[in-house]
Amino acid sequence: MSGPAAPRKIFVACLGNPDRGDDGIGALVAKALAGRLPADVALIARGGDMLALIDDWAGFDALICVDAAVPISGPGRIHRLDLATDALPAEMAVTSSHAFGLADAIRLARTLGQAPQEIIVYAVEGHSFDPGAAVTPAVADGIDEVAQRVVAEVTRLRPLMTLPLSGG
Amino acid sequence: MATKTIQVDYLARVEGEGALDLHISDGRVTAARLNIFEPPRFFEAFLPGRGYAELPDIVARICGICPIAYQMSSVHAIERAFGAKVDGRLRALRRLVYCGEWIESHALHVVMLHAPDFLGFPDGISMAREHGDAVRNGLALKKTGNELMSLLGGREVHPVNVMAGGFHRVPTRVELAPMAEKLERARDLAAGLVRWVATFPFPDLERDYEFVALRHPDEYPFNEGRLVSNRDIDIDVSQFDNEFEERHVSHSTALHSAVKRRGAYLVGPMARYALNFDRLPASVQALAREAGLGPVCRNPFKSIVVRAIEIYYACEEALRLIADYTPPDAASVLVEPRAATGFGCTEAPRGICWHRYEFDGEGTIRAARIVPPTSQNQPSIEDDLAAVAGTMLDQPDDAIRGRCEQSIRNYDPCISCSAHFLKLTVHRE
Repeated sequence: MSGPAAPRKIFVACLGNPDRGDDGIGALVAKALAGRLPADVALIARGGDMLALIDDWAGFDALICVDAAVPISGPGRIHRLDLATDALPAEMAVTSSHAFGLADAIRLARTLGQAPQEIIVYAVEGHSFDPGAAVTPAVADGIDEVAQRVVAEVTRLRPLMTLPLSGG
Repeated sequence: MATKTIQVDYLARVEGEGALDLHISDGRVTAARLNIFEPPRFFEAFLPGRGYAELPDIVARICGICPIAYQMSSVHAIERAFGAKVDGRLRALRRLVYCGEWIESHALHVVMLHAPDFLGFPDGISMAREHGDAVRNGLALKKTGNELMSLLGGREVHPVNVMAGGFHRVPTRVELAPMAEKLERARDLAAGLVRWVATFPFPDLERDYEFVALRHPDEYPFNEGRLVSNRDIDIDVSQFDNEFEERHVSHSTALHSAVKRRGAYLVGPMARYALNFDRLPASVQALAREAGLGPVCRNPFKSIVVRAIEIYYACEEALRLIADYTPPDAASVLVEPRAATGFGCTEAPRGICWHRYEFDGEGTIRAARIVPPTSQNQPSIEDDLAAVAGTMLDQPDDAIRGRCEQSIRNYDPCISCSAHFLKLTVHRE
């Protein structure tokens, strides 16, 4: 038997340090997303240690992350990774043991059974990560496109799901 | 002559970059060297010329996990130089934000970085498969510490609310109230953590350390006290150079510290605990005894238990401070620059963090010296390694290597602060 329908719970995490050049892409996309997502979608901007996110996204059905990536092919290039099929590139792991990166946080959350079922990562290749530097033009040019793709992703992921009837 | 070299090229689960070389010759350890190759960052060189008001925000950048320690030692040095006194409710708030830092820093190390050594896992994430609840509880503790830092410091990494004379803004009672509920839960989790780590298998090793820590007439130390040891040191923090010296060694980009008259000494949780057990509340002492600790612990591997005890204490102390809190009349006291030299020494999670600054009449920094805890512990780490390896020379290199890495992690070393990671090489001859 089934009961009332509810939208799937979606968590959008925009990651990175806004004071480190192109690592600020996450914070800028969060700003661009303000007011464009349904009220029940959680949107946060966060830098530094990612471990605290495990608690934040527990209980959500889907997670969309936006983060900067080290340059591979060209600054500003946007990569979409579906973690059901793709692995996070090793480069997205922070090397310091004292600041666990996104890949570590997702791996730990999955081990603890606290990871959302669907995880989509938008990784934007950066160029400069210098302290105090501005986001480089090629990366800044992609802010709107990433924001639009996150909105579209939310629209795709959010359709009502039918809740099972409780009790019995 | 039988000579053997064991190397760890890159030590995991420490902050910073380093390596370890162990030389074994004719059945004994002839050298144990912690090679720190983290590049120096020259904070002491670029501080001169900057204004005193910038100091706490600049030195916070030395460490992402213990920025409060650097901020606190620097503001105490400024206030001492300029004759300003921060006491009462502002002083209590400084202890409170320090509680947050101890909780988050210790919880991360105990659960995610150190516990895997005792339980035979390569890392905290692998350990989570079999010890999920312990990891969840550790993460919850860390989160509570971070939230306390964010509430008082403005943000959890490199807080921005600490200033000479007090804070830019102080919280209301209403803002602190939800934190008390979280800290009550954290205190229960910390008690569980103490009981859990106390069951770990500990290598049988005791060392005759010279413990060095702050000691305050009434309190378990955070911000204030005389600098004391279990031998004969009992000095004002301004007299640091009379008893201690920093030495260049060729294998480390971080200076080594030593007691001039004797050599290696130990700072951090085991030293604080041994020198200040009588300053712990009866409830914390009782928990320590339940965990099998006496008033002094000399087994470096049991530092994990002491660290867990300090998390419990920090939760209790934070709850006491919040219960007593009423907002001060002003967020800060007046600080007026004058030409002077100031000293500050506070208890970072890893041990004493000593600062000395010379200021001109405008409050511009003319000279700066910062002695972080991990650099002070380097000689003790090397002595531990020689002692640990010396008891297991007949064992395979991998076993020696693993135990040596664990020994280094006993210190929760922050190599980035002191000058992430370690290579261990064993040389057998």
